[in-house]
Amino acid sequence: MTVSVTRRSLAPAGTRPRRPRPRPAGLRGVRLLGRAVSVIVILAWSLFPLYWALNTSLTTLNGAESRPAHLVPSPFSIASYQQLFGVSGSQSGFAFQFGRSLLNAVIESGGAMVLTIVIAVLGAYAFARMEFLFKRTIFTSVLATLLLPAYATLIPLYRVMSGLGLVNTYLAVILVYTSGFLPLATWLLYNYFSSVPRSLEEAAFVDGASWLRTLTRIVIPVAAPGIAAAAIITFLLGWAQFLFPLVLTSDLSAQPVTVVVAALNGQRIVPFTLLMACGVVTAAVPGIVAVALNRFIISGVTSGAVK
Amino acid sequence: MAPRSLAPPAVRAPGRRPARRGRLLPWLLVAPLVAFIALLSVYPTAVTTVEAFFRVSPLDPPTRFNGLANFRALAANAAVTTSWVNTVAYAAVGVVLSTVLGVAGAVRLKRRFRFRGIVLALVILPWALPAVDEAVIWNWMYDPNYGVVNSVLHSLHLIGGYHVYLGLDRWLTVVLIEIVQVWQMAPLSFLIILAALQSIPPDLYEAAQVDGASAWRSFRTVTLPLIRPAIAVAAVQALVLSFNVFDQVYVMNGNAPLGSSLMLQTYLTTFQNLDFGGGYALSLLVTLATVLLSAGIIALIYRKPVAT
Repeated sequence: MTVSVTRRSLAPAGTRPRRPRPRPAGLRGVRLLGRAVSVIVILAWSLFPLYWALNTSLTTLNGAESRPAHLVPSPFSIASYQQLFGVSGSQSGFAFQFGRSLLNAVIESGGAMVLTIVIAVLGAYAFARMEFLFKRTIFTSVLATLLLPAYATLIPLYRVMSGLGLVNTYLAVILVYTSGFLPLATWLLYNYFSSVPRSLEEAAFVDGASWLRTLTRIVIPVAAPGIAAAAIITFLLGWAQFLFPLVLTSDLSAQPVTVVVAALNGQRIVPFTLLMACGVVTAAVPGIVAVALNRFIISGVTSGAVK
Repeated sequence: MAPRSLAPPAVRAPGRRPARRGRLLPWLLVAPLVAFIALLSVYPTAVTTVEAFFRVSPLDPPTRFNGLANFRALAANAAVTTSWVNTVAYAAVGVVLSTVLGVAGAVRLKRRFRFRGIVLALVILPWALPAVDEAVIWNWMYDPNYGVVNSVLHSLHLIGGYHVYLGLDRWLTVVLIEIVQVWQMAPLSFLIILAALQSIPPDLYEAAQVDGASAWRSFRTVTLPLIRPAIAVAAVQALVLSFNVFDQVYVMNGNAPLGSSLMLQTYLTTFQNLDFGGGYALSLLVTLATVLLSAGIIALIYRKPVAT
């Protein structure tokens, strides 16, 4: 049932030919104004909370605790960021904690991204290009796990990792992330490989190239945008994880930044200026990735979401 | 690119390719994928399903079959009942708000205009950020002493003094926390619906216009029926996400039963009370509810005759 959803919503986007129709000038002005207002409202909804975090992070505690609130940072201060990165001597333990958890998040989401993409590229290539027994059954089963909520696997995964002595290690986190991200990545890459014409590969096969050579020299370069989309989405998903690392890690040797930020927030003693600086830095990594590479994400999300 | 072989293509007849390797190769390629899914998705799901009927308590072994006792204990637990009702409320608010916002945003941003690319990139930003960060930020915005929500409402003379928003009134807490999740997931609904809108041929609108249909009428008779499948997909996404809401509740509600969600309750049952059997039973129920609800929404939206 869900597959038919895809077929219908995946019709080519943005192919609408423009047909300007003459309109009275006054009406056009009103429409333009209406559109400008709605764009501003949409942007304000999307961006204001982020602006507010930035605003609070760039002032002093006194500045943040003013009534009414200051809409721009006043007094302006980068003390929170200095504290966060250990530039000012005080609370260097805090800077260490935050820095280490950032590093953990980079290793875990980066590791899961690499592992997921390698495994998904191989699998998706086989599903898209080769015939084998039970192919449809395996493919459908892999995709069906997309429907499983975190509930279904959380407790057993904890017990499996605990049984293997892997709790509180990068490996446990990376393996669990990878198993969660594989169905989506496989689906995205399968779609992409299927859209690449076979003629190039057939030419290479006829020339005697091995499947590996065909894959690495022809299919992967041609499918690079699709692989990039899958990689970016996987990285963002990994960076945002909270529940699984909360359960699978217990201290700074593997806790990613989301778990540490939640813990700092829960202590109720860390000043809001510092918390917002943590929030800004943690959000900056995926934020920059998302804005800079939004084309890949929009294409990937729309084809992946309508799974 | 592969270097061109000097031998004529005919030399390599199809029959000459080693048949055994050719048959094994696809299996080798999918083996890692299958291993991951089997060991870390299918097997754990099976464990959850089976052990929901067992008494599992790591501090107090042994594990043994106890039938429906876990489920009966859940039914008798007031905190669990609260979190069921809360989760239904989270999901209702989440599905309605994110779908309405997604449709409204997609309709407004459908046409091309200058800077549209940048606007789209910024609109999807909340989707890309960790929910924990977002909850910490909104928690500060809702702050009873210095929050910007209080400040703005007070400056507009809509409230007489600063208020406490979270943790006092149950439904207000649920709605305000769900707004934070809607902020994150509405961009996804928006993108799904936008893709569907852009695939509608403009001739249909022109035909409606020639027939003298108003903007609202052509939205109802042309747009809505054609984007119904996309709305279904967006609604299912929102349903599954909000039915599983955890991060925002963990940060903004804490362990209090007041705004607790099922996922939070499962976490507390399992990892704080160390009642793994109870956690399994609750997980199983919620998994079933999630899957059934998703299927239900899809069926409902597909079966419904096209409105005219």
